Amino acid sequence: MRLDRRALLSFDWLWFLALLGLATAGLFAIWSATEGTGLDSYLGRQVLYLGAALVLFFLLLYFDYHLYTDYISFLYAAGLSALVLVLFVGKAVHSSKSWIPVGAFSFQPSELVKVLALIALAKYYSESERDHLDLQELMTGGLICLVPMALVVLQGDLGTAMTFVPIFVVLSFMGGLRRRHVLVALLVIAIASPLGWVMLKDYQRGRIQTVFNPANDPLHLGYQTIQSKIAIGSGRMLGKGFKQGSQSQLGFLPARQTDFVFAVLSEEKGFVGSTAALSLFLFVFFRLLKTAREAKDRVGAMLVTGVLSLLLFHVVINVGMVVGLLPIAGIPLPFVSAGGSSLISSFAAMSLCMNVRMRRYVN
Amino acid sequence: MQHQDYNRQLLHRRLNTIAVFIAVTFGVLVVRLWQLQVLQGAYYALRAENNRVRTIQLVAPRGTISDRHNMPLVENRSAFNILLYRESASDMEATSRFLVQKLGVKESDLAARLRRGRSIGLYRPVVIKEDVGIDDISVVEAFGREHAELQLGPEPRRFYRYGKLAAHVLGYVGEVSEEELSRESFSGTKPGDLVGKSGVERTYNSTLTGIDGTRQVLADSIGREVGFLEEIDAVVGGELQLTLDLGLQMTAEKLLENKVGAIVAMDPRNGEILAMASAPAFDPNNFSTRISEQEWNELVEDPNRPLQNRSIQNSYPPGSTFKLIVALAGLEQGQIRDDTRIFCRGSAAFYGRPFLCWFRKGHGFMELENAIQRSCNVYFYEIGRRLGISKIAEYGQLVGLGDGTGIDLPGEREGLMPTPEWKQLVRKTKWFAGETISVSIGQGAVSVTPLQLARAVGALATNGRLPQPHVFLRSNGAGPIPAVRQIRMLPISEEFSRKIREGMWASVNNFGTGHRAAVAGLDVCGKTGTVQVIGNEKKREAQKDPEIWEDHSWFVGFANKDDPEIVLAVFLEHGGKGGAAAAPLAQEMFRAYFSAKARREGKPWPNDQISEARR
Repeated sequence: MRLDRRALLSFDWLWFLALLGLATAGLFAIWSATEGTGLDSYLGRQVLYLGAALVLFFLLLYFDYHLYTDYISFLYAAGLSALVLVLFVGKAVHSSKSWIPVGAFSFQPSELVKVLALIALAKYYSESERDHLDLQELMTGGLICLVPMALVVLQGDLGTAMTFVPIFVVLSFMGGLRRRHVLVALLVIAIASPLGWVMLKDYQRGRIQTVFNPANDPLHLGYQTIQSKIAIGSGRMLGKGFKQGSQSQLGFLPARQTDFVFAVLSEEKGFVGSTAALSLFLFVFFRLLKTAREAKDRVGAMLVTGVLSLLLFHVVINVGMVVGLLPIAGIPLPFVSAGGSSLISSFAAMSLCMNVRMRRYVN
Repeated sequence: MQHQDYNRQLLHRRLNTIAVFIAVTFGVLVVRLWQLQVLQGAYYALRAENNRVRTIQLVAPRGTISDRHNMPLVENRSAFNILLYRESASDMEATSRFLVQKLGVKESDLAARLRRGRSIGLYRPVVIKEDVGIDDISVVEAFGREHAELQLGPEPRRFYRYGKLAAHVLGYVGEVSEEELSRESFSGTKPGDLVGKSGVERTYNSTLTGIDGTRQVLADSIGREVGFLEEIDAVVGGELQLTLDLGLQMTAEKLLENKVGAIVAMDPRNGEILAMASAPAFDPNNFSTRISEQEWNELVEDPNRPLQNRSIQNSYPPGSTFKLIVALAGLEQGQIRDDTRIFCRGSAAFYGRPFLCWFRKGHGFMELENAIQRSCNVYFYEIGRRLGISKIAEYGQLVGLGDGTGIDLPGEREGLMPTPEWKQLVRKTKWFAGETISVSIGQGAVSVTPLQLARAVGALATNGRLPQPHVFLRSNGAGPIPAVRQIRMLPISEEFSRKIREGMWASVNNFGTGHRAAVAGLDVCGKTGTVQVIGNEKKREAQKDPEIWEDHSWFVGFANKDDPEIVLAVFLEHGGKGGAAAAPLAQEMFRAYFSAKARREGKPWPNDQISEARR
């Protein structure tokens, strides 16, 4: 039996409702931000994507998560192939060639490969017998993340590529890091970062500089950050109300239904709304931590921690960017931002964690 | 058991580290939100209030219009409107006062414009005054700081270089109406847009219309521009080249000065309109700004109806010019031959009623050629009687009388080629045989537009070519390109049309009624027409008011006889006898056309000296 009664009873409704709450808040923000602007197809599509995401969520729950970890090498290879494919047939959106057109929709394989790489790494590290990873294991683990990351960089999507870093760092931390490995890594980063700075494209450098001085060039790079801060700040304690946000309604906010959706939410729902949304995320994170703690086995715990790292990175980078603490990167807010690939892969990842939670008891 | 394979305690410790990290980052984010939304909330609220994107419409200039030799006819001049950005007007009363006192805006007008503006959304400006002069511009500029809610919006205006010249062909532009907005041919236009209202401005509106651009600027709460976002350039509309010949058009307009009438010149080979003048005319420049009600009423209420294009938008009995069609019908139907003789003694009786010839002494024996030459009524009464109305109507319709020509100008009238069926249907009475006799000489119910008549005569000149007249020559723009012009070949015999041409030649060159159209060195062929407006008896009574009783005057003709390249219709409302009033105008037109042609080809035009000498 794939789902016994005990597992069914362990389905965590509060957790699930928190996810639905975030997705619903997203729907309303998208609705408000796009109405009457010619972008109004976003809302309908997002509802469609949410439906698909929920179907996938429950479908994946049905099978034991070990099924996925057992076959991860095939899935991982398939994911890499998709990334290679996208380099040839991909469709460019905002200078990043990372989309595969599927009928009327476009699919972003990199969103899915993030999850696959995470599973692969969790599986690999969980097979380690010791309390600390040795150098060879670290190198292999690094490679598992680095290959898809490099392919995503080739697509020109630096923001998504960055998401492989926290997966590697957090899972390696969970696997057990030796002090000397950490020191060497820090040293390498210290030496390599000036080199990396040189290799960045102009606009990417500009985005980083702008964080430190947004007023420097208010109508170009700093413009988005300033407008986003004005939107959030002007929401004040209680917000301006649904569809009343002048910053989003008048088109000051860039990418307001996708990357800056949190600013729309904050403008219209105020401090109360923005912290409520963050609280939902926080609740989900602590549920994930709890699940990792109680996981039946090492691979389950690793899986959940991997998903946690991925989600946390997205939330922190996105909200940090929107509130003007971090550089602008094309990273969506999971569950909230408009976009099918992100929504579906986020729910799929959550399904994995719920899976671990539901099957935490020894049979 | 698997779960015992790993060190749970170590795992928990590591997870705790992560939990601390999460708590700290979320703490930072919440503190940041507190800072932005609560501590600095008032500041950002003010900044949001000050944040207004102002979208400035960059109105695309319409395409220019030129004549067949690329001489510009219609261009654009730059002009400015005063715009009011209502969301920036903090004190609407002060703004109103300023508009009324400094810019001479009428209070009632302002109120009406603001009322209309309610439907267009708060963030779009309301036009307060159009096409303002330099005085108003400097006032707006000078008070730019105090009244930043008022801005100058550029909007190019139509400039008709020659004023009234070809006004009816060119047409005019005006603000698109509600009704037009809902029509498909005006798709893409917004309220307030200028669109073609008549003439080619209307027919080729989509060709001439450009694509408006926008400039987005940031404005603060009181409307001052503080930054620039993006600009999308306007795309100028397509250029239009017409078949009109500016020089010939000028001649026609000059000839019609202080007269009421129309002159149409067409190339009978392909239907290209070389000149189309209608008098009195209007100056379309007056429409390029919103026309005042008074000006409009004056134009509409003028008894001479200057807005009407008499070449196509009104129809008149063709008078004796119609005899050409009756002659054609008679020959084609075998009712006469060119040597058929009919005796004219100044009048003839048909169906118990006398019908007069205009030459009371009588023409004596008439054959086809001198019947046309001298425009003998009795000769054509007799042919008309032999043919009957149905056959006459058949040939009238064959050459396109009483039916739209399909010219690419709006509002063309059909005229009327009467038949017994028509009379039964419309007037609910029987056709009287006597009416046929009247129609035989172009009187009675038959009525044609000058263009129809020119085209019909063109068909006689070219052995039956009946082209679709048009003023469009080419364009470089988008928009619909007119369908391929069709030229119908009428089934008329070359021999018969040549016989008629002989008569027309004689009329002009052999002391016929059209002799005043003769031009030395040219083989002009033509036919005069004089339309009695009221009966002879009443005419005597109404002598006092010649405007009403005076005959309409026609001349139709072409040149040269054996190689026709221009066909003319000259029509003068209450102009008097065709031979006396209309024919001399045709003469000037032919002279102008062929002398200009000779000049263009670098050939001498010997007639210049002759005509100088004659004066």
